[in-house]
Amino acid sequence: MPKKLADILEEKGMPIDFQYGSSAPEEMVDREVQKEPDSRPNKLLDLYFDTLSSATVEFPYWYTRKWKELDAEVPVVRRAIALKYAFSHVTPTIFPGEKLVMGRARYYRGSFPMPWESEGYFMAKEDELYQDALKKGSVSSGEVSQFGAGGGNVTKSFGNVVSIAGKFGMRQEEVPALIRVAREWVGKSVDDLRYEYEKMMPDYDLKENIMKSVICMFESGFTLPLGREVINYYYPLQYGFDGLIEICKERASEVAGNADGDGISGMNRLYFYKAAALVLEGVQTWILNYAKEAHRLAAMEKDSTQKAEYEEIAECLEQIAHKQPRTFREALQLIYTVHIAVLNEDAISGMSPGRVGQVLSPWFEQDIEAERITEEEVIELLELHRVKMTCIDCFASAGVVGGVLSGNTFNNLSMGGLTRDGRSAANRLEILIMEAGIRCATPQPTLSVLYDEKLPDEFLLKAIECNKTGTGYPAWMNNQSAIEFLMWQYGREGMTIEEARAVAIGGCLETSPCAWHELTLNGKEYVVPGGAGQPTSVGVHFLANPKILECALFNGYDHRTETQVYPPHNKKLETYEELWEVYKQYYEMTVDVLSRANNIQHDIWRKNNMSIFHSLLKPDCLAKGHHIGDMGIRYNGTYNVESCGTANMVNSLAALRKLVYDDKKYTLEQMKEAILDNFGFKDAEEVGSYSLASQEKKGSGETWDEIHSNCLLAPKQGNADPYVDSILKEYEDWFCEMCTEHESLYAKPMYACQISVSTHGAQGAVTLATPDGRLAGTTYADASMSPYPGTDRNGPYAVFASATVWDQTKSQNSQLNMKLHPTAIKGAEGSRKLLELTRSYLRNGGFHIQYNIVDSKVLRDAQAHPENYRELMVRVAGFTQYWVEIGKAIQDEVIARTEYETV
Amino acid sequence: MSKKDLKHHDCRNFAPVDVAKGICHLSKKMVSTDSPVCENFDELSKCRNCANYTADKNEKTMGTCEAEKTKPWTFEDLIAVNCEMYNAK
Repeated sequence: MPKKLADILEEKGMPIDFQYGSSAPEEMVDREVQKEPDSRPNKLLDLYFDTLSSATVEFPYWYTRKWKELDAEVPVVRRAIALKYAFSHVTPTIFPGEKLVMGRARYYRGSFPMPWESEGYFMAKEDELYQDALKKGSVSSGEVSQFGAGGGNVTKSFGNVVSIAGKFGMRQEEVPALIRVAREWVGKSVDDLRYEYEKMMPDYDLKENIMKSVICMFESGFTLPLGREVINYYYPLQYGFDGLIEICKERASEVAGNADGDGISGMNRLYFYKAAALVLEGVQTWILNYAKEAHRLAAMEKDSTQKAEYEEIAECLEQIAHKQPRTFREALQLIYTVHIAVLNEDAISGMSPGRVGQVLSPWFEQDIEAERITEEEVIELLELHRVKMTCIDCFASAGVVGGVLSGNTFNNLSMGGLTRDGRSAANRLEILIMEAGIRCATPQPTLSVLYDEKLPDEFLLKAIECNKTGTGYPAWMNNQSAIEFLMWQYGREGMTIEEARAVAIGGCLETSPCAWHELTLNGKEYVVPGGAGQPTSVGVHFLANPKILECALFNGYDHRTETQVYPPHNKKLETYEELWEVYKQYYEMTVDVLSRANNIQHDIWRKNNMSIFHSLLKPDCLAKGHHIGDMGIRYNGTYNVESCGTANMVNSLAALRKLVYDDKKYTLEQMKEAILDNFGFKDAEEVGSYSLASQEKKGSGETWDEIHSNCLLAPKQGNADPYVDSILKEYEDWFCEMCTEHESLYAKPMYACQISVSTHGAQGAVTLATPDGRLAGTTYADASMSPYPGTDRNGPYAVFASATVWDQTKSQNSQLNMKLHPTAIKGAEGSRKLLELTRSYLRNGGFHIQYNIVDSKVLRDAQAHPENYRELMVRVAGFTQYWVEIGKAIQDEVIARTEYETV
Repeated sequence: MSKKDLKHHDCRNFAPVDVAKGICHLSKKMVSTDSPVCENFDELSKCRNCANYTADKNEKTMGTCEAEKTKPWTFEDLIAVNCEMYNAK
């Protein structure tokens, strides 16, 4: 039997399943805080658990049909008419028991492709999809139930259902239409057009090789061009759709024929206002179609309670389709509707609701005061909101949805922070939002606390209680660091400290610029926050730091694809400094070519596929008469450079410095030979596991045992060891500065973004063994400040000390995940300890920390028996996801993380 | 289409939960999309049930909408509950 690395390390006294502090109890320990959803949300959540991710061609069909007719129209108006047509024609479905209604598509967990962004995937799969579509057969309940065990992912075709992108099911009778729609976009989609123009870059081959070798694994311009940002609900909440249409029409008549001193884009305003009014009318019709459906259902309903509920739904929708919402329920329905409308306009992940508790506070306060609603009723509505948000699916290719997103949609709801005048912004509704998150534990919306020293203990301890459910939310963000970052990046665009206080988190943990708005409700005035920036995590994503180091070591060559990715440097790398210089050169080359390619992608997007509905929601598009692509929005410097695998890269540099350059224990050639032979181990794919613990030796040979052992023993990030932490600091100081030297299509400097999402699995899979002892194909450390699993041996405060050696305000974020055993923070004393632990990190300059409070034995059991764990959620890297819906590589990595038995 | 060929996704009373099943608004029960319909079947507006639809001779399930000047292509299972040109056969 092949020897496993775990056994070898155990023999050496370096157990891989490391538990810090003490040993976990023998028996499995459950979460300390457990509550149940209320009855109605519970039923709808059960329905969700039994629902498959389902795609339909309805929206793209209607959109394409109208778009084709209008080839002589001004592009923005052409798109608006097509959007209006699609919104007006899709089929509304309302499910029994729902109070909050509407959805992306007619299915409960519905979505649809947007071939105007990219149709290539469908065309490439055309034959395969057709073949599946032609295979007729009856649905077997046995076959369908198999999917329940793996969550809602339709990973294989069955019966009359065709699997697309390894996740979505589509009715076979719709597939021929999908293929036809996709054909309509050949040569016209953002993907196809950008390709034509990217090829004009002199170093296009370098870009292609970088993508092929998966040094970079996400191109945003034609996959998910929007998102990782904070939405803004203010305008519909304040003016209602009728009011907004009126504003658009008035402004159109004012600007018609006037350039107003702007000879380049002044005239564009007329078309934007016309387009905005058209899309608003489409969204209105869409809402009213649901209202009609509610009336229809009411008319046929025998049960008087359900009948009355359908009528209430209709009344609510008829109000919000035209006017400002009157009640908390109407306001909640409106923001959910607006959210879904934005997601239907364009391919998006991470369109975050922002500070919902503060946005909806006026309705909450007035309803409670007038006794129109109780807090329990508010909690039920918030639970229903959670279920509806969890039903959101993001349709994209398998590589994006699986490899990057793990199926998550990153609807991050922020809480806390400060008011415009610098007081604590935490409020009662946010406490109820957390209570709803405790009772109804779902991945969406995930929650984030904007931690500030001014926040009251009651609020903070509620957040700790929520953490103790084991759901992984709320994440903790450093509010002051976020404000400092915003001032640094957006000061040049006029941001003030007051405005910076409106900050919220977009996507996983992307610090996003927001703004304050004055809202009037029943004559009373309020100030509410909302998103005011372009999408973030667009730009250069995700760069595999260890893979770039691998290329530096192997003269620019990728052994996996047998490609000369970078021009050979032909240096002997005789000193650490020389290695570091080559690494930086390759890195800069990467960012340079990718940022230019990305600029072309997004430029094509903004010219042909511009955002209209989303634009009009954000300041100052309506005031200026320009959509996001024409820089109508207030803050435009949002494009960034996103890295992955920082800990493995830093640890590898430390190992090389120590073993090759300082101690001269091995030559660089010996290290490279050991790496190419994977330290004598089999490939991770061959083993069938991507965790370090499971890796097996090829045979009984011991050729690389010593060198591997020394690589593993070399200094590691997360132990307060200056030897390695100085490397981290040098890297961060350089990286954060280097990013600003590159410019987005909006002529603004880019900046650093340091989160891994799920790419540490996919990018680890393509990376050879690394000098830190990590084996080929295995997952990188998650996040950016998280130590490599099992290597943080000196406790949480040592992890914090390592992570805060650099100025984290120079980056949009940094990310630290920590796994705690439930017993480590048990009881009221445990809660206090967890709060103090969190405070300690944030007070010392950490930007973000989040916890998996779970017994690793539970995770192992869940991997072995997924059918028993449909509801289990874990925190991955910036998001919470159902265990059964994430890939095995990431599951292995979460299991392998160091488990803290004490804090 | 004969009644024996009709499936639940052809029925107006059917709320499709996903691609394989849905809830019957009358019985409130979960039913398979592809299971036979009952006596309460209420025809859902689809292109195939519209007088303006002409089936494509060459490609099964595809057709043309004759109601529009441009005669766009369409498909028989396209739901037309919100189509202003829908004209039940």
